[in-house]
Amino acid sequence: MDFPHSLRPALFMTGPLGLSDIPDLSFMCSWQHALTLPETQPQNSENGALHVTKDLLWEPATPGPLPMLPSLIGESLIPPGSFHTAPPILPAAPTPETFLSLLSLCSLRALGCLQSPRASGCTPVPSPALSVTSSSDPWDPGLTARDLLFRGGYRYRRRPRVVLDVTEQISRFLWDHGDVAFAPLGKLMLENFKLEGAGSRTKKTTVVSVKKLLQDLGGHQPWGCPWAYLSNRQRRFSILGGPILGTSVASHLAELLHEELVLRWEQLLLDEACTGGALAWVPGRTPQFGQLVYPAGGALDRLHFQEVVLSPGDSPQFLGNPGRIQLQGPVRQVVTCTVQGETLLAVRSDYHCAVWKFGKQWQPSLLQAMQVEKGATGISLSPHLPGELAICSRSGAVCLWSPEDGLQQVYKDPETLVFRDSSSWRWADFTAHPRVLTVGDRTGVKMVDTQGPPGCGLLLFRVGAEASCQKGERVLLTQYLGHSSSECLPPTLHLVCTQFSLYLVDERLPLVPMLKWNHGLPSPLLLARLLPPPRPGCVQPLLLGGQGGQLQLLHLAGEGASVPRLAGPPQSLPSRTDSLPAFPLLEPKIQWRLQERLKAPTIGLAAVVPPLPSAPTPGLVLFQLSAAGDVFYQQLRPQADSDHRRDSGPRSDTESDCRAPTASWTSQDTAGCSQWLKALLKVPLAPPVWTAPTFTHRQLLGSIELRREEEEGQRLDVLRKAMAQGRLLLQRDLGSLPAAEPPPAPESGPEDKLSERLGEAWAGRGAAWWERQQGRTSGPGRQPRRPKRRTQLSSTFSLSGHMDPSEDTSPPHSPEWPPADALPQPPMTPPSQELTPDACAQGVPAERRQMLHDYMAKLPPQRGTPGCATTPPSSQASSVWTTRSQQHTPILSGSQRPRKKPRMGF
Amino acid sequence: MSDFSEELKGPVTDDEVETSVLTGAGMHFPWLQTYVETVAIGGKRKKDFAQTTSACLSFVQEALLKHQWQQAAEYMYSYFQTLEDSDSYKRQAAPEIIWKLGSEILFYHPKSNVETFNTFADRMKNIGVMNYLKISLQHALYLLHHGMLEDAKRNLSEAETWRHGENTSSRGILINLIQAYKGLLQYYTWSKKKMELSKLDKDDYAYNAVAQDVFNHSWKTSANISALIKIPGVWDPFVKSYVEILYQIVPSHKLMLEFHTLLRKSEKEEHHKLGLEVLFGVLDFAGCTKNITAWKYLAKYLKKTLMGNHLAWVQDEWNSRKNWWPSFHFSYFWAKSDWKEDTALACEKAFVAGLLLGKGCRYFRYILKQDHQILGKKIKRMKRSVKKYSIVNPRLSY
Repeated sequence: MDFPHSLRPALFMTGPLGLSDIPDLSFMCSWQHALTLPETQPQNSENGALHVTKDLLWEPATPGPLPMLPSLIGESLIPPGSFHTAPPILPAAPTPETFLSLLSLCSLRALGCLQSPRASGCTPVPSPALSVTSSSDPWDPGLTARDLLFRGGYRYRRRPRVVLDVTEQISRFLWDHGDVAFAPLGKLMLENFKLEGAGSRTKKTTVVSVKKLLQDLGGHQPWGCPWAYLSNRQRRFSILGGPILGTSVASHLAELLHEELVLRWEQLLLDEACTGGALAWVPGRTPQFGQLVYPAGGALDRLHFQEVVLSPGDSPQFLGNPGRIQLQGPVRQVVTCTVQGETLLAVRSDYHCAVWKFGKQWQPSLLQAMQVEKGATGISLSPHLPGELAICSRSGAVCLWSPEDGLQQVYKDPETLVFRDSSSWRWADFTAHPRVLTVGDRTGVKMVDTQGPPGCGLLLFRVGAEASCQKGERVLLTQYLGHSSSECLPPTLHLVCTQFSLYLVDERLPLVPMLKWNHGLPSPLLLARLLPPPRPGCVQPLLLGGQGGQLQLLHLAGEGASVPRLAGPPQSLPSRTDSLPAFPLLEPKIQWRLQERLKAPTIGLAAVVPPLPSAPTPGLVLFQLSAAGDVFYQQLRPQADSDHRRDSGPRSDTESDCRAPTASWTSQDTAGCSQWLKALLKVPLAPPVWTAPTFTHRQLLGSIELRREEEEGQRLDVLRKAMAQGRLLLQRDLGSLPAAEPPPAPESGPEDKLSERLGEAWAGRGAAWWERQQGRTSGPGRQPRRPKRRTQLSSTFSLSGHMDPSEDTSPPHSPEWPPADALPQPPMTPPSQELTPDACAQGVPAERRQMLHDYMAKLPPQRGTPGCATTPPSSQASSVWTTRSQQHTPILSGSQRPRKKPRMGF
Repeated sequence: MSDFSEELKGPVTDDEVETSVLTGAGMHFPWLQTYVETVAIGGKRKKDFAQTTSACLSFVQEALLKHQWQQAAEYMYSYFQTLEDSDSYKRQAAPEIIWKLGSEILFYHPKSNVETFNTFADRMKNIGVMNYLKISLQHALYLLHHGMLEDAKRNLSEAETWRHGENTSSRGILINLIQAYKGLLQYYTWSKKKMELSKLDKDDYAYNAVAQDVFNHSWKTSANISALIKIPGVWDPFVKSYVEILYQIVPSHKLMLEFHTLLRKSEKEEHHKLGLEVLFGVLDFAGCTKNITAWKYLAKYLKKTLMGNHLAWVQDEWNSRKNWWPSFHFSYFWAKSDWKEDTALACEKAFVAGLLLGKGCRYFRYILKQDHQILGKKIKRMKRSVKKYSIVNPRLSY
């Protein structure tokens, strides 16, 4: 390990570092690294061959990355991984929602308007057997700044101001989740309500007749403005409920919502969870095969071990189906390292870490899983000793972990290293000395000797004047670059990345960076990979990945005893959105969907130099994983004229100038894209979030009077009434149409094709429809549409719930909703289940029973905590119930009480 | 709610710095601006001109990163308009950006030449005087790179004597670098002249003239450098590095092996102990694991130390390493691969492994099992020594 005998022209002052005034040399251009003294030049030109190989630079072979496709070779060549069931499942993560449990009135789930599918623990939709596995889940880009920030406001302010839009969010919440917001209140206020209709007068003025109240409200519900004019009764109601409404609900909700908004905004500004990347390449038995390990599924909680074949001269392909391990939390980081012939895989989830070992058959076997109570932020594998890891948690502790010896706490400090910073992000990595670790946070990086006394160490890097840092600059990622033991760079280099720059620091000369480069990435730089040199002695490519999908490739040189420098100008690699032209022309809606998917943040990077003996020139394959779960690859080839580029003396040859980018799409590429797109479009869109049911109470309560009459006269009456009022006669007004005979679905004749096609195209299935049309023989494709209609109708009937008790017990299906078990919510208890006519028939007066029944049926489904639905009501609620039942329904038998949960609210 | 919005407003250094909306946490998010722009929130809207120039700038940067020099040059041509910006902050910041991007384009552009670069640099020096020194320095480096030493020197001299009213005092430390480079160039010419002089005959008629020239140059150089070294600074951090200091800071330095040999020759006992420490220290590092010299030294010196009845020294060093050196150096994997790659290294390591871990150690046993004609004798000798001197009780071997 030779030390650089000369440094770049720079000036370091004596005295305490950071205190003296150091000239910021970052103004120097990137070409300063290319500068050499004239004496060395002739030497270089003498052995030109050496020159060329030394400065081998890469360039992309296609204008953009391409999606990975399943192999067409077939699965007989190599059996797919057979370890689908083997490893145990990680224990469930403690939910962050616990802080909300004290308020039954809203759980975090209820804040669905803020829930992004990635963060929620939604159950993955089972993927179709033979589709591209990566696109088996619908992608929702989640929250944007638009959803969170306050629009409008001060017009004449000089600069834009960031204000969170809490008012908008809470009003949206109250509209969309009125059941959650107000149902508990309803429970509390139950004793002050009388459910009977008019007729009897109440004794107390505090008791309000629900009927009248709802009648008043009904005229304005749901989408008109309910506050357009206030009636006396409403005013009375608001006075009655005011203290509770005003204080508890609004303040609690606003508080929680605000907290959540702040969290989401911070996450939007910097989502540090996936720092380090969740994609890893595990080399296989032969250089042609390997495995990609990455999370998949909407919640990124399924770890995939996908075999990949790298055939010479062809694009890399997935081989067979991936081996899967289901975990109980999203995977944030996947690291792999081969030490002394032993390949290990470390995985970090939010609250868990686990390490696998690849056996002789290249099958992973779990060594150990561990829970990190405060939350894990980083994991790294030792490049020196097999089976040794470093993990760090939000509590500020860094531990050395080996499955044999367990945990050894190396460092613990809840405070940040250099100055106070609110971030609890910590990072740990190894150094050239197997017993020395680096510990990093947002303010700096420290080297800690695990054998020394606790707390001691030497600062390797700090955000400050030594590195000429800017104001507000923070460390985003640190990485030890000594993993690949090539002679290119000394094994003592560390990479430190901030929002603005990257620094190369030598651990033998701490604090003063050896190299600083302003990367200028427009998104947080959370991924970096030092790639192996294409040939021994070549410059070493360093790949940087921004979360927004931007990729930058730097070439580092620093062989022997020279200072690391940039060889050649930095280069940006195409991002996934650059691949859009490779896809076929699409309908606007699908195009937009595709665009959104390609724009998904990058959460993993991996690179391979396939050592293929048959290939004439070395190639480099980059893999990238997006948050939508897609794996894309980008092939790179050596630059044709990399020797020209560096020869920057007075040039006379101009034949190589203005070289247009030679990379272009081949028909094979576009075919691959179409194939991938087809699989993507097969996946149904995400189910829409809960929408408030629209119902009016006037008709509902009006029908109460009608119930008294004979069944025959009823329908006539409704009809007559409707005609008199001049309104549309609705199916539910008639109520008792036999459910057994659903109206047949309208046969789509040939003249109906246009509307059918338009409808399909609008739903994003235009291409599929067209294919169906072309390949249709007798129309089996239409078959699935009929049952759907039937269920819709029957569920409509069950909602009104007059006829069939068995129908009543089924959960109400909204047309667009998938079966309830596929939804992210806990199983809902349908309202009609709690108060079936059977249960009511025993003692409740007919009038009251019907009213209650109808009223309950119209309520939105209860989506509170599952415990609320299944266990007996809480003491408060039951006392309410008791008083109520004493007052009004003394005949109710006690055994039914737990099942009949009093429900109120609107 | 209100306090949070107050927080988010954050302190901004200047109203016009679009990309610097800070949050209360103190961290700066360069990408925040794009988020804010997607939401038409209140605030002054960017002027059309500002929008166009910032778009143009991003085009230039993109073209540069894609190595499309021709395209970058065309965009750059349009970007000069930003010098006309009515916004004073932007107008001031523009020359530096233009220099940075422009010089990069001209450095790599296939049709550019030194003359073009010179013209560009000279123009840029005088637009926005604040960058005069920076541009001069880089210009000189460029000329140096192209072998135009005289031009470079002239450039540096101009920069050194540059005065511009109030800005003169703010030249700061940058002027030191300029002086240093100038001194270096003078040193270079002086040494060249000296070479010439040594070739000349003393009786040559030109000798006196050249000698005078050499003298002049040496005087100039020393004037430059001596002014410079009065300023405290680390001009070359390794000139003054002492070996022992180095051991504390960089125990993996290759000089450490020389240091060890010096210590070994020393008379003092404590030096002998330090010699052992130094060797162990070198081999701790991942970059030195295959250093055969270090292993050879350690094998020899361990034996010598143990023969000299200094078991305690070895144990001192070994105690902190015994839980990780076996898997770091002496695993079965390394035994196999070392033997395959470098049998001599494997032998040295095996000897050390035997001494430290006993003859039951896997590394030692593996090497012992190998049949090697030339090394056979050596291995036998090694086996005997291990039996005799190993620090491990043979019954409790690893």
